Amino acid sequence: MKEKPATVFVVDDDDAVRTSLRLLLKSVGLPVETYASAQEFLDGFDAERAGCLVLDIRMPGMSGLELQQRLNEIHAIVPIVFITGHGDVPMAVEAMQHGAVDFIQKPFRDQDLIDRINQALEKDRDNRAGLKERDAIRRRMQQLTPREKEVLDLVTQGKANKVIAGDLNVSQRTVEIHRARVMEKMAASSLAHLVRMVIEAERTAAP
Amino acid sequence: MTTDSPPAEHPTAPSPGTAADELKALLDAAVDAVIVISHDSRIQTFNRAAERLFGYRAEEVFGQSVNVLMAEPYRTAHDGYMRHYMQTGEARIIGIGREVTAQRRDGSQFPASLAVGQVPGSRPPRFIGFLHDITARKAAVEALRRERDRAQSYLDLAQVMLVAIDPGGRIALINRKGCEILGYTEAELIGRDWFEICLPERQRATARAALAASLADVRTPEAYTEDTVLTRQGGLKLIAWRTIVVRDELGRPAGVLSSGEDVTERRRAEQALTRSESLLRAAQAIANLGNYEIHLPSGTTYWSAQMYRILGREPSAGPLPPSEFPAQVVHPDDRERCLREWQRAVEESERFDLEFRILRSDGTAREVHGLAQLQPGAGGESLVITGTLHDITERKHAEDELRQGQERLTHVGRLSTMGEMATGLAHEINQPLTAIATYAQAAVRLMDAGNDDPAELREALVQITNQALRAGEVIRRLRAFVKNKTARTETVDLNRLIEDLRVLAEPDARVNDVRLTVDLGAGLAPVAADPVQIQQVLLNLIRNAIDATLETRGTPREVLVRSGAVADGIEVAVIDRAGGIPPAVAANLFNPFYTTKASGTGLGLAISRSIIRAHRGKLGHRPTPGGGTTFFFTLPPLPGA
Repeated sequence: MKEKPATVFVVDDDDAVRTSLRLLLKSVGLPVETYASAQEFLDGFDAERAGCLVLDIRMPGMSGLELQQRLNEIHAIVPIVFITGHGDVPMAVEAMQHGAVDFIQKPFRDQDLIDRINQALEKDRDNRAGLKERDAIRRRMQQLTPREKEVLDLVTQGKANKVIAGDLNVSQRTVEIHRARVMEKMAASSLAHLVRMVIEAERTAAP
Repeated sequence: MTTDSPPAEHPTAPSPGTAADELKALLDAAVDAVIVISHDSRIQTFNRAAERLFGYRAEEVFGQSVNVLMAEPYRTAHDGYMRHYMQTGEARIIGIGREVTAQRRDGSQFPASLAVGQVPGSRPPRFIGFLHDITARKAAVEALRRERDRAQSYLDLAQVMLVAIDPGGRIALINRKGCEILGYTEAELIGRDWFEICLPERQRATARAALAASLADVRTPEAYTEDTVLTRQGGLKLIAWRTIVVRDELGRPAGVLSSGEDVTERRRAEQALTRSESLLRAAQAIANLGNYEIHLPSGTTYWSAQMYRILGREPSAGPLPPSEFPAQVVHPDDRERCLREWQRAVEESERFDLEFRILRSDGTAREVHGLAQLQPGAGGESLVITGTLHDITERKHAEDELRQGQERLTHVGRLSTMGEMATGLAHEINQPLTAIATYAQAAVRLMDAGNDDPAELREALVQITNQALRAGEVIRRLRAFVKNKTARTETVDLNRLIEDLRVLAEPDARVNDVRLTVDLGAGLAPVAADPVQIQQVLLNLIRNAIDATLETRGTPREVLVRSGAVADGIEVAVIDRAGGIPPAVAANLFNPFYTTKASGTGLGLAISRSIIRAHRGKLGHRPTPGGGTTFFFTLPPLPGA
């Protein structure tokens, strides 16, 4: 699947700060989009777009913290770098507890900001790669027959073939055939690999 | 002449012989009229003196009733007397002299003394009467009486009371004025005890002793005394007495004669005057206010005692002449101004009203307030300058201290407001700094990357300049707001003032996530105000509105500043949509040091109100329609605006 390039979304109510950030990020070759308010950003939000959010923590109307809360509510994964003033450390801590990547105090050295943005973009890439991996596992799991799913569940619970044969009231040989089909369909290289994939699929299935 | 020893028995008429002639000669030689009548009042003897006195010859009256010699009412009464005597033997006149009015032949009447006796042994009785013309004596007595009456009228005319007191303390004489003062009639007083009736009880013993001492020649009465008398109505009057001792022909004291003048009113007036003079003196000392008079053109000057005290000069040295006053008393720095004002007042007959400094003789300077008024003197050409000099040094100092105290307090209030707003202001300066740093770093990166678009670099530099100016502006306003300690009044456009204040107020609103909006009325008249102080008030109201908004959840986070014209001037309102003011808080709202905020000083509203009052405006609050509170202040428009 061909992805759009990752974008840095800047949300700040101060025109000058916003415009200067645009110029700075542009100067290091990062695609930038700027928004004057949290609401404006939320209105145009697209969860599919890769990138990170550079967010002013204090704003009239919807504050940076409130925007973060809204994004969490819709399970958006976009990583956030908060920009804070001098007196805003308690708010920054709260933001971190709610999953922010980092925060940076105004005014800042350009490299510090760029480092944090790169870190956030990397996290977004990881997030999105992880998402892709889980999607693949789920697709493979959907190809299993009901009996194969039963065998997968019992295998990943660590039960031996003989025990499974007893539970399902089939021959041990039948269990071995199903198990081989599961390993093949799931493209598992080992039992450990298979278990890891099941855990990964289950983790993201129920957040 | 009495009839106790009547003359011996001498027949009067008719009598024979030599004895009768002798008797007749004797009778005729008598000075008094001698008349003998029978028991039925017929005249039997009528001597020469009787003829002269009555104008009758003896032959004309012999045998006639003695009545012809009498004037009425004696004529009619006489027969009654005679009958009464004859029947009862009870004499009414016999043996008793009496005064009667007799009548001459020509009908004229004259006063006479009459003595009557019965001729001894006469049967039926005969009576002999001796009659003496007392016209001259009567006239003398009358003259004496008139003289006495005249004297009495002199006494009565006198506007002093005159009282003579006999050695027994009784009133022997009192004139009309005396009666008038005491409220009695003369009859009620004569013969009565002076001390009992006319003196208040506490004075009686002393006064009695004084009289006794005077009469015993132990001491002469005091020539002049003042004492109270008791009037009939029970009132007291103050009398100034002059007293002399009256002596009899042998030079012995026979009583005292006093003249007294009612000085009650005069003394009261004198006391009132004395009292008001001493009050004035005390008042001048208390107020530290002296007064003076200058008579022009002579230059004669009077200073009150307090004048000397204010100027620190010896009263014995006398007042300074007006020509020397400025040079010797007025502070050199104020001398010219004082002289100019004085000359203007004298030339234009205007009031002199000036505050200036003086130098006392000990070299200390005092602040005084001089007032003077020119008045025409007695003569046409002369003038009197009446003036006061008020030492207002203490008042001036107190005023200065009060003003400085208020300025300090106002300044503290402003600093405190600034402290509360520090976060917002730090943020407000941090924003342009952030933009500047970011622009500059971006420009460096663009250059490093070999960017050859000068427009982009230029834009960054322009923005850096703008943001630096923006930060500078915040700091400038902040300094102007915090630094300015002394009040100054200028013409202020309130809308402009509100706009200027936004730079300071908006960051505070922003960091608290409150929307601050401004709604300015069009065409507002300017006001006379200290702009910094009015900004302080407005900022304080905005801060309170923001705090109120933060305290209540679920209400709109909005504060509106609105200006507009109202009946008594220009109103600026700060409107919040928060929870309103609880009654308990409202009661204490303007009390200094009352606060509902954890870090508040409680001075904000108290200072704000005193600032607005000093601007002759008012500061108040009312509910915002739909919830919340509206604080407002009004300022009077500039006169003529």
